[in-house]
Amino acid sequence: MKRILATAFLLVSTVAARAEYEQVNLTVFGMDCAPCAHAIHVSMKGVPGVNTVDVDLNTGLVSIKLNPGNSAAMRQFNEAVEKNGFTHKDAQVIVRGQLSGSVRAPFLDVAGANDRYALAPLAAGTDISSLLGKTVVIDGVLPQSAKGKVSDTLRYKTIAEAR
Amino acid sequence: MKYFLVLVCAVSMTGAVLAADHGPVFSYATPVNSEREFSFDTGIFGRNGSRGTQLSTGSGFGYGVTPHITINAFLPAMFGSGNLPESRIVSGSEWTGSGSWRFLHSVTSVGKRIESTASLGIVVPGPQQDSGVLGSLHRAPGVTGSVVTGMASRSQYLWVGGGYARFAEASHDRRPDTISWSAVYGYRPSSLRRGYDKWDYRGFAELTGEHTGGVRRGGLVLPDSSSTTLWLGPSVLAIYKNIAIEGGVQGPLFRDVSEAIYGREHMRFAINLSYLKYSSHTSSH
Repeated sequence: MKRILATAFLLVSTVAARAEYEQVNLTVFGMDCAPCAHAIHVSMKGVPGVNTVDVDLNTGLVSIKLNPGNSAAMRQFNEAVEKNGFTHKDAQVIVRGQLSGSVRAPFLDVAGANDRYALAPLAAGTDISSLLGKTVVIDGVLPQSAKGKVSDTLRYKTIAEAR
Repeated sequence: MKYFLVLVCAVSMTGAVLAADHGPVFSYATPVNSEREFSFDTGIFGRNGSRGTQLSTGSGFGYGVTPHITINAFLPAMFGSGNLPESRIVSGSEWTGSGSWRFLHSVTSVGKRIESTASLGIVVPGPQQDSGVLGSLHRAPGVTGSVVTGMASRSQYLWVGGGYARFAEASHDRRPDTISWSAVYGYRPSSLRRGYDKWDYRGFAELTGEHTGGVRRGGLVLPDSSSTTLWLGPSVLAIYKNIAIEGGVQGPLFRDVSEAIYGREHMRFAINLSYLKYSSHTSSH
């Protein structure tokens, strides 16, 4: 019984400490035809850790779901867009990471991807003081960045302790 | 001049490649391959005239060096003879190596982009001889260049482009310089703006024109050997993911051609099949 409890605790703590992207919804400009979408699909599937990719040509939305334990970085998704000659706009992400810094200047470290973001709320009123130092799940928006770059600020809609 | 041409060819290894791939079938268009994308084209291009039907088939290969630079090669084979004037719109018997650079790329909204592409290339005589007046010439390589600009969107396409080809002299013979131009409008009805896992169709109206200079034989320009023509016709493109089939036909709008030398060209047609192999390569981090 002790062994089972220890294993369960270990599993739960491992999951809670994971830092990774769970979902990325990227708006892509410039795709006009089926091969454009297919090219994006193939490129995104080539990023290790990607589970499913959906491309909507009429809205330009590329929806990527990732496997648990992945180490995909945001830069790889942007590169997948750029190498096909398109432009990435804002990305909505669901990401798990370690909350660090201070209440006034919080940061999110996505250790698996080696990504680090300064956090800014999309709307005022979220108290994150109790979450500092903990692993959190954030639903937020990464603003459009220049080619070859990833925004260093993540504007969060919701932030909650990871379970 | 010969050495200059060879040098230019060796350095650039490029040429005006008309839009086969997945676009209009006769006209110049702006799209280039994605980075590390291979494209393969094969098709039949025909010209029917009063002296017969001239068909060419061939294989085209493209590779995306960067998202905006593509290198191409086209190896045609010709059969039938029409004794027709030189053409850069419909491929003949020359082997072509080319490079295309999309030097302007403005992505303005979902599904829409404005872009311009320039191409430079070399054409080399293939093993087959042309027919008619051109068949009697000593052949030499040539250089080609083209510029095309336009826009693509989910509903409409518009491209305007022009190209120039110039051949070197061989034993006092020289193929005619060729100026070619095209304007193409494409439309995809709203009912066909579907998901990428369904067949994607669009229709084009393609207007093309060519002016070929005089044919030089034995150091002399043959009288009345230049030509000017204007062609118009529809084409249709069907794509499923990474496979495209396109076909079109054109009829003459205007012909200023010596019938004594070339006969009378009635129709041009083309069917092309494209296969696109995209790269899933991503950088590690």
